[in-house]
Amino acid sequence: MAKKSTPQKHVSSHTGGVDLQEVERLLEFMAKHGLEEFEYERAGFRIRLRKPFSQPMGFSRAVSAPEIVVAAAPSAASGHPGSAVTSGASTAQEQAAEAGRAASEDVHVVKSPIVGTFYAAPSVGGEPFVKVGSRVDEGQALCIIEAMKLMNEIESDVAGEVVRIFVENGQPVEYGEALFGIRAHRKK
Amino acid sequence: MFRKILIANRGEIALRILSACRELNVRTVAVYSEADRNALHVRFADEAICIGPPRSSESYLNIPQVISAAEIANVDAIHPGYGFLSENANFAEVCEASHITFIGPTPDAIRLMGEKDKAKEAMAAAGIPVIPGSAGVVPDEDSAKEIARGIGYPVMIKAAEGGGGRGMRIVRSAKELIPAFRTARTEAEQAFGSPNVYMEKLIERPRHIEFQVLGDKHGNVVHLGERECSLQRRHQKVLEESPSVAVDASTRRRLGKQVVEALKKIGYSSAGTMEFLREDSGNLYFIEMNARIQVEHPVTEMVTGIDLVKSQIRVAAGEKLSAVLPPVEFRGHAIECRINAEDPETFTPSAGRVTVFRVPGGPGIRVDTACYADAVIPPYYDSLIAKLISYGHDRAEAIVRMQRALDGFVVEGVKTTIPLHKRILADPNFVAGKFDTHFLERLPALEAKAK
Repeated sequence: MAKKSTPQKHVSSHTGGVDLQEVERLLEFMAKHGLEEFEYERAGFRIRLRKPFSQPMGFSRAVSAPEIVVAAAPSAASGHPGSAVTSGASTAQEQAAEAGRAASEDVHVVKSPIVGTFYAAPSVGGEPFVKVGSRVDEGQALCIIEAMKLMNEIESDVAGEVVRIFVENGQPVEYGEALFGIRAHRKK
Repeated sequence: MFRKILIANRGEIALRILSACRELNVRTVAVYSEADRNALHVRFADEAICIGPPRSSESYLNIPQVISAAEIANVDAIHPGYGFLSENANFAEVCEASHITFIGPTPDAIRLMGEKDKAKEAMAAAGIPVIPGSAGVVPDEDSAKEIARGIGYPVMIKAAEGGGGRGMRIVRSAKELIPAFRTARTEAEQAFGSPNVYMEKLIERPRHIEFQVLGDKHGNVVHLGERECSLQRRHQKVLEESPSVAVDASTRRRLGKQVVEALKKIGYSSAGTMEFLREDSGNLYFIEMNARIQVEHPVTEMVTGIDLVKSQIRVAAGEKLSAVLPPVEFRGHAIECRINAEDPETFTPSAGRVTVFRVPGGPGIRVDTACYADAVIPPYYDSLIAKLISYGHDRAEAIVRMQRALDGFVVEGVKTTIPLHKRILADPNFVAGKFDTHFLERLPALEAKAK
């Protein structure tokens, strides 16, 4: 869910106000010095670039994959339609990409299969279904997504340990938005 | 006026609706499938919500996902554009039940127009001419003779359950009637399991002419003139223009008035189009109504100076036509070429990455598009990538402007129908206004002969 008007709400990744050429220069700088991760901040603008794990040094991959975080950026400025279009809508994708990198390759990301409102607990004020550190079985309920007044239980499709919860209680989520990171138990 | 509108569509029409909302100072919510992450409607909307995977049945046609998006974004209206959910009466009802205004006609009006036989009946009852024919199945040979005599030859016999030409017979005189009736019944029986046939007047060299209408929620309806849409390929319109060279001012006034009266009777309350077939002798017959904004609406906008999409949104918000529209006047001539990502000869879709996208401009040229250099045309949706519209003080000026604009329109990376349009615009019969719905079938043949 990308609300461009409220970028403070959570990771807002649209490039309104971001000079893409500047990003390009930073990426070149990273490549030149062999940096895996780079964070840069100045007034009203913060950017974090990180190369994906176990990727070859192929530069074009690094351009498409880095996570771009822009804080307190003004609302989308009129851009050039022909330039690389990155909008607020890519939040889920980047979130998922981040999720993939944030932990080891064993972390499985549970994504929202529907558009709706995320609830961590079965009832208002109740205990959440799971917390970071919870062990879950395959098929165990992780949360509820409310869509058109219907409460849809979202089940884990793997057994493992919850290592990350990407969304907050009551938050609207879009299709494909990352909800949970689960480190799967290895099957022997 | 609405505070926030969800646009349940993609491509150029989503951008067209976005423009209207921007001018009306209404906030916008785009919805998109995973194939459209980098689409311009997503970029330019105030908010954007991913509603599903690329397949439209799981995203743009998925009613629960669209309604959920509307609910979490807290919109007060949904604009469906054309295609997708625009003529889905059930969707319009779900919107109503969710207290969201559906920007379109009422579910009842959509349902009526969706059932072509009922729509025809309703229009005939309201005084609109329909193609003369048997009201239902022709039971036997005696009634066949009687009905054919009543309609006048030539007539067409059609399988009731059928389609695709089988069980179809053209009858030009009384002595051909009975053998043709028998063969049609046998063919229908073999092909569709039912020998039932209809009979209808055969419209020779038909032109497709349609009237743009707009109604409000207070019982007012106006017509905004006609569009000529005879240039079609497999029932897909290719080029449209307004006005039609085959409609004179008195016909426009007379039929326009009939259309308005008929739509007032059924309480039509949004933008819509009444489609007619015109036979060579000049008679026009109603065939169906499209209860939505149409692809080719810009040609009407150009000759009337009326913003149809903004007007449609304003009447949906409850405004009266008298407040929304200036006095309706027709001035000049407009042509629209649909630029599709298709092979211009075989018409097979050409999906892929657009590498060069150079759009023409200059006097009298308008381009409605959601395409750009580096855009990827996904294979999941329709192939329209741009609408090129030319306007001139008369048809001749609109034609030369279109020719000039087509020459300056450069698209690389995918094949487009631009070369086809250049051939149409250069055809002497097109320039003379002499064509019917079979024009494009003859065009390649002419080309082959010239070689």
